[in-house]
Amino acid sequence: MPTKPLSVRYEDDLRLFASRWRQAGTALLVLAVLVYPLRASSLWLTLGTEILVFVVGAVGLMILTGFTGQISLGHAAFIGIGGYTAAILGGEFGIPFWLVIPAAGLLSAAVGLAVGPFALRLRGLYLAIVTLGLVFLVAHVLRSFPEWTGGLSGISVPMLWWFDGPVVSAAQTEILGTPLSAAIQKFYIFLVLAVIAVLFATNLRRSHTGRAMAAVRDRDVAAAVMGVDVARTKYVAFGVSSFLAGVAGAMFGWEAQFLTIDATVNLIISIEFIAIIVIGGIGTVVGAVLGAVAFVVLGQLADALLGELPLLSELSSAQRRTSFQAILVAIFLIVEPFGLYGIWLRIKFYFMAWPFRY
Amino acid sequence: MQTFLQLLFSGLALGSIYALVALGFVVIYRSSQVFNFAHGEFVMLGAFLMISLVRGGVWWIVALLITMVVTGAVGMGVERSVLRPMIGRPVFVTVIVTIFVGALMRVAINLIWGGTERGMPTPWDNTGVMEILGARVLFNSVAAIVATAVVLIGFYLLFQRSRIGVGMRATASDQEVALGLGIPVGRVFGFSWFLAGSLAALAGVFLGMFPRIVDGNIWLIALVAFPAVLIGGLESPLGAVIGGFALGVVQLLAQGYVNPLLGTFGNNFHQVFPYVVMIGFLMFKPYGLFGTHEVERV
Repeated sequence: MPTKPLSVRYEDDLRLFASRWRQAGTALLVLAVLVYPLRASSLWLTLGTEILVFVVGAVGLMILTGFTGQISLGHAAFIGIGGYTAAILGGEFGIPFWLVIPAAGLLSAAVGLAVGPFALRLRGLYLAIVTLGLVFLVAHVLRSFPEWTGGLSGISVPMLWWFDGPVVSAAQTEILGTPLSAAIQKFYIFLVLAVIAVLFATNLRRSHTGRAMAAVRDRDVAAAVMGVDVARTKYVAFGVSSFLAGVAGAMFGWEAQFLTIDATVNLIISIEFIAIIVIGGIGTVVGAVLGAVAFVVLGQLADALLGELPLLSELSSAQRRTSFQAILVAIFLIVEPFGLYGIWLRIKFYFMAWPFRY
Repeated sequence: MQTFLQLLFSGLALGSIYALVALGFVVIYRSSQVFNFAHGEFVMLGAFLMISLVRGGVWWIVALLITMVVTGAVGMGVERSVLRPMIGRPVFVTVIVTIFVGALMRVAINLIWGGTERGMPTPWDNTGVMEILGARVLFNSVAAIVATAVVLIGFYLLFQRSRIGVGMRATASDQEVALGLGIPVGRVFGFSWFLAGSLAALAGVFLGMFPRIVDGNIWLIALVAFPAVLIGGLESPLGAVIGGFALGVVQLLAQGYVNPLLGTFGNNFHQVFPYVVMIGFLMFKPYGLFGTHEVERV
């Protein structure tokens, strides 16, 4: 059984993939994910793209709630800001996607930083409700400018390669005999974004700021006494988290291709992200990824399976999904508070100690 | 002046409903440190149940009592089955659990009743109006205000004079000490949820009356009532009542006087105005009017 090699130098501790086995595993995973869109059916390709969107958003919420311990019900507000930025910049001004991404993120981060002062004064439930208020406010602002946002009828979100250029479209190139369709291109673009987000969060957690975040989460007064700049840490957490949420919002828009205010900026979306990080395991980056995968895949399965049951087939697909999520999250919170990551750790330790129980 | 009075009375009627909802939050939060995001679904359950009972031929006031008791019992059931195992976990965790309990209840209610709109029957003339100081006020509004006043007085007496009320206050102040003194803390939890549930049902009944209707979105009232709870302070029943009435009045006055000032931005601005007020208010008083200030220790 491979064990983590003894760290004798600082460089060993700094390495992202500590052991050979880790490196091999990561390489395999990367290969699998790269081949996935070429072999997947169109349904599973869509699900894969959805997962990547949720990964970026969940990593954002994980930094805020999981690392820094600030409860936010306002994630949907930032998703909405990002999505509508993408829609307006792409649709009205013909800005290509690689410029939209930073724009969506920065605009969303600016709003997130505006919440900062409240996070310094309030905590716990009070903060949660204020962030919930942010969702309502953003929805109201979006509804108030129908000439830009399309109002209640919604707005389409084009994803452009170049200024006023073509929508990301079927290119002539083929990889492994599969033509590189628009959906596949989207998957790869999103994959790059998701990988950047995950690596960023992983490294952030190991940095000075990341440790400050953990200190603030565990007890902010104690952190302040030890010299952690609590205000700065909370601002960074809100800024980074809402930046990622804004990017995820733009991705969400491109994936859905059409946004309506009521379906994007509402409490349900915020709660879905909370469900993801709870299912995955709060406080870890892996948790955000596992949670997103489990959320999308299980949601799809629930939709398909529960539809067969007599009483439940009368529910709409969204209702079925909601009830499934609800039960799943309740079970996780009661039985396995550390989520899928906790389960993974237990399995790992069991085999590391095998054949002994302890 | 007449417009002002008109808005004031409608605001008080709406505010009395907010006060009932907010009081439910506070009762639960004080006794069991759970912030119940499923509260709106209790309101919804109460409203739908009441309509079915009255249409089924039950005498109105009896139907009201049955509705309150049944909804309260559902509240007790939720507490016993889902939230009792959560004792001692962070507030955040219970918040998430109640959000999802609420989602499940909503699905269940939709399954039983369907989401179609329906009007709330009343024993008096549904659209009847009376004149007070020159302002035309609906019978429904007067009934809501009177019923809330009666319930609040009953509540005050219950808290101050009854055995279980004293037990609830003791539990709110310190659970372990209360347990040590022989107060059945578990039963206090259950009773608090029962009370909150029946308050929510009552609020649902009055919320569904003309000019409003009962539909699948009636649970959103709970989200709108949050500012009342926070402005009053999470731990204070008095604060919840004051916050509730203030919220109702402010909301309707904003609808009358602030919305027109803002042009297109003012469309439905009154719906988010309570949140704007709350956010501003919390900047200066982070624990609301009467909330307990947390003592920070390392």
